[in-house]
Amino acid sequence: MALYEGIALIQEKQAVVLDLGTDYTKFGFTGEAAPRCIIRSEFWCPSERRYKRVYDYRTPEELYDNLVNMLHLLYFRHVLVNPKERKVVVVESLLTPTLFRETLAKVLFTHYEVSGVVWADSPRLCALTLGTPVSLIVSIGAREAEVCAVVHASVVLRALQSQPLAARAIHDELARLLDEDNNTELHLSEQIIEDIKVKTCFVGNRERAQQWADGPAPTPAKSVQYPLAGRPAITVSGRTRELAAEPLFARDNELASLPDIVLQCIMLCPIDARRALSENILVTGGTATLPGLKARLAHELRYLVTQPPYSDRLCIREFKFHKSPTHDNTVAWCGGAVGGAADAGATRALPRDVFARTRRLRDWACLLDNTPPHHPHRDQLDQ
Amino acid sequence: MAYLTQPDYVKYVCSCGQLKPITSLYFCRHCLKIRCGFCICHEVDSHHCANCLENMPSSEARLKKNRCSSCFDCPSCFHTLSTRATMAAQRQAQDPAGGDAKVENKQTKKMYYLSCFNCRWTSRDVGIPDQSVASGGWPERTNPFLSRYNQLLDYYKAIAQQEKQEKLERERKKFAIRGKYITLTDKTGLTGAMARNIAGLPTSESGSSAAIASFTPSQASAEVDELPDDVYTKDVNLKQITSMSQRLASPEWQPSSVSRLHPLAKLLSIKRSQRCRVCDHNLTKPEYNPGSIKFKIELLAYYHVPEVKIISYETVKPGEKSALLLKLTNPTGHEMQIQLMQPEDLPPVEEREEPKSIEKSLEKSLNLEKDTSSYRAIERVAELGSSSRVTAPEATLTLAQRDDAAEYDDDAQQDTSDFILWRKSNKLALRLEVTTDAAATPGAPARAALALQYSYRNTVPPAPAAPQQAHHTLYTTLLLDLGVVSG
Ligand SMILES: [Zn+2]
Ligand SMILES: [Zn+2]
Ligand SMILES: [Zn+2]
Ligand SMILES: [Zn+2]
Repeated sequence: MALYEGIALIQEKQAVVLDLGTDYTKFGFTGEAAPRCIIRSEFWCPSERRYKRVYDYRTPEELYDNLVNMLHLLYFRHVLVNPKERKVVVVESLLTPTLFRETLAKVLFTHYEVSGVVWADSPRLCALTLGTPVSLIVSIGAREAEVCAVVHASVVLRALQSQPLAARAIHDELARLLDEDNNTELHLSEQIIEDIKVKTCFVGNRERAQQWADGPAPTPAKSVQYPLAGRPAITVSGRTRELAAEPLFARDNELASLPDIVLQCIMLCPIDARRALSENILVTGGTATLPGLKARLAHELRYLVTQPPYSDRLCIREFKFHKSPTHDNTVAWCGGAVGGAADAGATRALPRDVFARTRRLRDWACLLDNTPPHHPHRDQLDQ
Repeated sequence: MAYLTQPDYVKYVCSCGQLKPITSLYFCRHCLKIRCGFCICHEVDSHHCANCLENMPSSEARLKKNRCSSCFDCPSCFHTLSTRATMAAQRQAQDPAGGDAKVENKQTKKMYYLSCFNCRWTSRDVGIPDQSVASGGWPERTNPFLSRYNQLLDYYKAIAQQEKQEKLERERKKFAIRGKYITLTDKTGLTGAMARNIAGLPTSESGSSAAIASFTPSQASAEVDELPDDVYTKDVNLKQITSMSQRLASPEWQPSSVSRLHPLAKLLSIKRSQRCRVCDHNLTKPEYNPGSIKFKIELLAYYHVPEVKIISYETVKPGEKSALLLKLTNPTGHEMQIQLMQPEDLPPVEEREEPKSIEKSLEKSLNLEKDTSSYRAIERVAELGSSSRVTAPEATLTLAQRDDAAEYDDDAQQDTSDFILWRKSNKLALRLEVTTDAAATPGAPARAALALQYSYRNTVPPAPAAPQQAHHTLYTTLLLDLGVVSG
């Protein structure tokens, strides 16, 4: 055999990184600084004659079909490579439903015959892009805001926080405020709501939010006439523009607002890591791009930490923020691309033959995977 | 054409259980089974640009990140951009004194810019200088985050390298067999690194440790990007702000302002070849030439499986009988025997499979059972959900082979049979009766399932070792859409 043939045999095909978000999917190659495509997580369904979202499923079979169609779109329309015998880095949330993970594994291994899959959780991948030993990842996506402490490359699982405070909450509030502005029920599509949010909305500062709530109302920002196809233009008032993201910061007795869950996450972490966590915050996710959101979060944190119940339980006073090393919506993807490229031998990948034999994935929530070796029940689990 | 636009009234059950119209089905001549896009294996065959129809070898496509180097898409509306030429006067003001010289120096030169005929966006809108050559040469932008990304990449590669080395070292220490011969390094207490140092060689891991040492982790700061001061007073110009799709069309830059839009190099298209998962034979293989829409291999069900069309039907009512007119077509070049059956009367799949020779099964078990395991996982039972049944006549129908010349024959032959309406070369019209379940709810979609048994003549030259039979009896199930159950 000629030398170059040997090299070609050893040479690994460049792996792909898949971040299948609720709204947008990021897909590209390891070792590259940006995904090749960021597209909506939906595909054209010819039998139903409409765009179908990957996350809309009622049965496991439907989810399987959705994933097959979505991956087909990604591989053959956007990235243009053969999925076969190529490794995949899957960027996932720690709270991904088991059914979703297992179905995705089935689709990747049996339908697309990929050679191995690295399952990587997004908080650790985000931490990877910072290079700091301790970091607090606040990721605000489409459905949920997740706050996760990453200490020396491991996630403090018991401090993991998640609340439905993300793009959906903003969209619902925006739709409500727009109805108020125009005195009718507009029933705008999700896409238009998103477009209005992207083009006009921002997060006002703390003082102004206080004024809006308790009065007297501050001078609102300029209102905007938003044109609609085939309908009269609608008014987006300055109040609406400013207050659409307010549900993220709304406090009630449950202490479940975005700044609250950040502080609670820190509070549940080991005492010697808390200071480092508060000084290494990374706010990421597509919703974090909203102008003013990061500043507002910083202000809220600095204020809330002086208030009970935090003031007597947390003695941190300083909050420092990292600038993400890439666009906010691709930080986790980028971490996957870096991690996947560094670990070129893919020692952390689950190979296809192992999956075919065991038919299961490692999961932090499963006793089989999280029982330490010296634990008295370990023997029974290993049987 | 009607196939492309109309809803699918007749759906076939693929061997994997999916319901598809005959136009999106394949027929594997080696397995003698219907396959569909869901249960076959797709492969990238060749890359080309759909605009300039230029072929690009895969290696080059990989280098160019699957982008055409001469075609661009509009960053505003994603339509293809056109190159436009203007005559630009080139001022050469080196000799302002002489009047004659001035005339001579005033050369006109053709300059090019990109323009969108759909939304009128031009490369001049965003300040991209005109180019002197028509194709290419457009300024390329680099990812603003690239340098930091590369630092991260070097750092983690070095760490991975070090981890690997440490692991090797540990392994070596664990399993090193202490022989009776003491190596030089053992005797003198030198480590490998020290020996290299003395010899003046670069230390083996210097590269990785240097990369690790020089890496600076991200620095957090107390300052956060505040809102611009004018946000409460400035008017919003919606035309100046990009939409989500405009931002995401260039993942590297994601411009939020229209003035930062840049032409998008056109994404290449691919031609796919498709393979049967069970026997690994090609089902379709396109011609290499991007302009050609022909295939080298094209095993479509449309050419091999009898086609069923609904001519007309009576409204379906619960508990009643209604008439149904069907047209059957034999697309093959051989005479075909067809018998209508009930889906539940079909022999089970296992029985239908031809007994495999010992060599074949041995080959399969050696083949790491790859083919079946992946196919079995995809297979599922079709949900027919039919509320009506078609009364199938016992008789076997014979359909002549396809004869293109007979297309011009006008007169249909009248058949004597009571359920055959007419017969014309390879086509046959049937009058059938549909019995609907009395429990069918009015307003629900009315579907009738029907099974076909048909004879098929295999034209694949048999393999020299295993003499194959050429005549087969095959089965297929189909689902007819008869509108809605009336009240
Ligand atoms: Zn199929
Ligand atoms: Zn081109
Ligand atoms: Zn355009
Ligand atoms: Zn086959």
